[in-house]
Amino acid sequence: MRVPWIAATFFLARSALAVFADEAWNVDYHYALLGLPKQSTSFFHQPNPSSRASLIYTLSEEGVLGAVNPRDGSVVWRQLLLSEALAYNVSFLRAGEGQDTVISGIGSQVAAWSAADGRQAWILDTAGPLQDVEILELSDGRETAGAKDAIALSGGEHPAVVRIDGTSGAIKWQYQWDGVDQPYQVSASTTEVFAILLHKTLLGYVKLKVVSLDPVTGRKTDEHVVSSENELASAETIVSVGANSASPIVAWTNSAHSVLKVNILGTKEISSFNIEAHDSHAVERVEIHAPYHTNSLSHFLVHYETATSHWADVFHIDLKNSKIEKAYSLPKMTGKGAFSTGTSDANVFFTRVTRDQVMTVSSASHGVLGRWAVAGFGVAAGPGESVEPVHAVSEVSIKGTSVSAVRSAVLLSTGDWVLLRDGSPVWNRPEVLASTVSATFAIPAEVQEFVQQLEAEAHGNPISAYIHRVTRHLQDLQKLPAIMASLPQRIVQGFLGTSADGGIASDSFGFHQIIACATRDGRLVALDAGNPDKVLWNQQVADLQLGQTWQPSVSSPEGGIIEINSKASAGVRYNASTGEQLFSILPIDETAGEVALPVKYAIHKGELDATVDTKMAWHFTPMSGERIVSLVPRPVNDPVASIGKVLGDRRVLYKYLDPNLALLVTANDVTKAATFYVLNTISGAILYSNVHSGVDLGSPISSMLSENWFAYSFTAEASANSPKGHQLVAGELFESLVANDRGPLSASANYSSMQTGTEPFTLAQTYQIPEPISHMAVTRTRQGITSRQLLAVLADSSAIVGIPYGVIDPRRPVSRDPTKDEQMEGLVRYSPVLDFDPKWYLNHQREIVGIKDVVTSPALLESTSLVFAYGLDVFGTRLSPSFSFDVLGKDFNKFQMLATVAALAVATFVVAPLVARKQVNARWQFA
Amino acid sequence: MPSISHWGLFLCASVASAARLTVSIPSTPPLLPNPGTLPLSTHAVLVGPPGVRYDVPIRRDSTFVFPDVADASYLLTLHSRDYFFPPLRVDVSKATDASQQQTIQAWQTFRGNEWDNKGPNYGSGKGELQLQLQPSGHKDFYQARGGFNIIGFVKSPMILMALVSAVMIFGMPYLMDNMDPETKAEFNEMQKSSPLTGSGGAADQLQNFDLAGWMAGKGTNSASGGGGSKKR
Repeated sequence: MRVPWIAATFFLARSALAVFADEAWNVDYHYALLGLPKQSTSFFHQPNPSSRASLIYTLSEEGVLGAVNPRDGSVVWRQLLLSEALAYNVSFLRAGEGQDTVISGIGSQVAAWSAADGRQAWILDTAGPLQDVEILELSDGRETAGAKDAIALSGGEHPAVVRIDGTSGAIKWQYQWDGVDQPYQVSASTTEVFAILLHKTLLGYVKLKVVSLDPVTGRKTDEHVVSSENELASAETIVSVGANSASPIVAWTNSAHSVLKVNILGTKEISSFNIEAHDSHAVERVEIHAPYHTNSLSHFLVHYETATSHWADVFHIDLKNSKIEKAYSLPKMTGKGAFSTGTSDANVFFTRVTRDQVMTVSSASHGVLGRWAVAGFGVAAGPGESVEPVHAVSEVSIKGTSVSAVRSAVLLSTGDWVLLRDGSPVWNRPEVLASTVSATFAIPAEVQEFVQQLEAEAHGNPISAYIHRVTRHLQDLQKLPAIMASLPQRIVQGFLGTSADGGIASDSFGFHQIIACATRDGRLVALDAGNPDKVLWNQQVADLQLGQTWQPSVSSPEGGIIEINSKASAGVRYNASTGEQLFSILPIDETAGEVALPVKYAIHKGELDATVDTKMAWHFTPMSGERIVSLVPRPVNDPVASIGKVLGDRRVLYKYLDPNLALLVTANDVTKAATFYVLNTISGAILYSNVHSGVDLGSPISSMLSENWFAYSFTAEASANSPKGHQLVAGELFESLVANDRGPLSASANYSSMQTGTEPFTLAQTYQIPEPISHMAVTRTRQGITSRQLLAVLADSSAIVGIPYGVIDPRRPVSRDPTKDEQMEGLVRYSPVLDFDPKWYLNHQREIVGIKDVVTSPALLESTSLVFAYGLDVFGTRLSPSFSFDVLGKDFNKFQMLATVAALAVATFVVAPLVARKQVNARWQFA
Repeated sequence: MPSISHWGLFLCASVASAARLTVSIPSTPPLLPNPGTLPLSTHAVLVGPPGVRYDVPIRRDSTFVFPDVADASYLLTLHSRDYFFPPLRVDVSKATDASQQQTIQAWQTFRGNEWDNKGPNYGSGKGELQLQLQPSGHKDFYQARGGFNIIGFVKSPMILMALVSAVMIFGMPYLMDNMDPETKAEFNEMQKSSPLTGSGGAADQLQNFDLAGWMAGKGTNSASGGGGSKKR
């Protein structure tokens, strides 16, 4: 029974389009992103004790744990720890010295991952949300021979400190306390474990309570309160709780940031330091940078930041008498700066990265060990924007007593993560793209300008048009020397097949479209689809406060222009090529009033309302107990080349084409049923509906509508006599199912969806698919002649598949072999199981993680559709669903063609005298 | 890779009653000689009744561990970038009384078939089940271009026909020359009388068709032996 299916799949795979080996990795592009790294969870670390080369580990704001190779910025491995990125997530990442694992904490889960390849070693679920995770570095021989243990502090209803075995992930001991004290952080010295709790006073202030625990048994040895009665208004002014240093500290400031107080954990004295104001601006942020090793010198650096400048003080802790004293200061500098800590044996080095220099000092004295000027970070920024370092982690190489090199991974204010080797940028990762929430394709402004010039010539009066044209050609002539100079190179590259596709201006195929991405933190980033290695421009378009969100939607209403719509601002426009904001007066479209009034519809309070000119047009209320899951309209720009489907015997089935269609999905949480409606959005009529029962509503339900067909997928629940698993349904709407017959529409010359209520004849077919589809899109080409592909995002496989329409065609004959005519059409026998052929994977071996949406755009070539997927990763490619029939592909062998021409030429020269002699002989010789 | 949800509280606390499922991938030469080469993104998904879903990543020892599986019937799928794995049905059934442990059973299942259509048993256990799952195939992403193939080119019927006619054109005069005069005369005679190629044959008539004469209404008799045949 299975053999014919496999045969059918095989046949389809042969006829369908696939990724060609020579185009893979060239045509497509992919940014394997992590998301913006956080300072507290990023560090350099050797993946195993024997290796000298270290990797950069980070647990990002998107909840992605990853290791990056500092040499080229490539991702060595990564794990998605959060399926839904939260705007504010508490996460921890620690690595013990000389350990081959890194330990992460996010949500309520503590997990250990192999540092070299990222495979999981163990995972543990704690009872409540994690407040802190640390690694226990015991120095007195009580540590186990294997992996170092971890301690975790969890909150929730039953807050607890747990010690976790580093090898197995089992709990060694657990300390719980009664009372209302909130867990804040956990810290460990070489001999003790400290839990820092927040004790709320009656007046609403917070007191810091330190509980000392025995690391072996977990028993409480001591408990005391360190901060005074009304010192801390909230936990926000607690600067830092150091851990794993020779002497862990807790530091806090008053709410005005004018006094810094430091306590060495385990002691009761509090050292207090005044924060001097360096200028009129108030200190906005205080941060502490301390080494993370128990055998390092107990020095730390305090970083102060105002709106315009920053400086730092270095403090030393005297371990013998537990005294803290200020050693030296690093001078004030304008702009923002980032400090990072590096260690070499016991020595501690602080590296300061500012917008124009990198400098390293030793913690012991203020002498500058290395200073390098930064010419630029090599990233794109908005006009007039100064690129500032936000935070940095660094690794210092020491030769003798001097610093030979410093590598710093710096997060910039543009959202780029840059590695500086000394002062020069080595690589940059546009991590800001990982938080893309909306994206669009736009035609470059240069191309649009050219189109406008041609239009001006076509519509102007002949004389001025002629003058315009001559001047344009004269201007073009100025480029001639440059073109001539580059010509030999271009010819050679053309033959060798190494030619790049050229710049944006000289784009004859329309592959160089601009992709604008609006990110969650209010930036707009533009990429060139034809040359995606570089970010074209990147600028802040929305000024968002911490924790504030926006829901932008980016679109390109006309060529060369990108428009952002959000709740706060409607229709802000930008030049697509430069990112310049356009100060345009809102265009008043005079013709708009003459056209029939548009029907506008929106989901409002769980119902679908449509209005015409503020009056209610129609109203869709889901059945009781149902909620609207999604609404997918037919794309606005969805050209259709043919109004019918030509059958094998040259007869025609007419498609039901209506620009105002939408696919609505509703779900009933009680009966576990999902209903799919095809609606006419002008009249509100239901053209088709189908109910599926036993649907897993927790799994993604994706849907798509294009041309005259729709597709949706869901996960079905098992029952004894029905299959369990994921299903894909494809449906197609026809005017009639009789060939050469338009049904009731044939008589009417005009058609209005307000008046006539013609209903389509719908064919639908269900397929069993191997995994859920989280999102669907469809390819788009310029004229719609090329056949379409359904693009399905497979979250489980980290892939996007392009399913050819012929495979899901609902007209595939059921339980019989196709007739000759059907075979001519390319229809094959229906089989309920649809396997995704690996050759359909647009991403082939790449793994594209966290894709939330796919946008497509037609190229100038009819055969080609541009695809761009975003979410966490960014992926793009070009697709030719009906093969590249209008352009020479990579399979066209220029050498072979030239060799053929040459061979023919040689043959002609050789044969010509022979023929001439034969002709002469024919005249003169008689048999 | 999505987050691991729905897990019980403390692992140690739940071991006593929990059903634990461990899936390991054995070395299966020649397809997968070393399961350590499986990409990091390899993960196993247990899909249960609506809302119940467990997703675990691959571990250091190339296993997948579901530490605490609730009572239900599950579809187990392994997703890997490079290999296909067969889907399994995993049933976790309730313990008869509190002291007993849950029963876990696993069978192969077939997509598109009713859920009760079970394949070979992959094992069963009380409270814990360890099973081995071998990959069923390798994923091949790339389509090779149909390059130029000289043998395939020569084999095509068009080229074969062209070759045969080329042999006829170049070979026939030689054959004719090498025939002895008698056979030659006989051959010529035969050709003349053949209905296709003779002087009055169909091919000859078609070649020398006098369109102008035919339009002018001339008969076939007068047309034969017209201007066309003079050229020869």
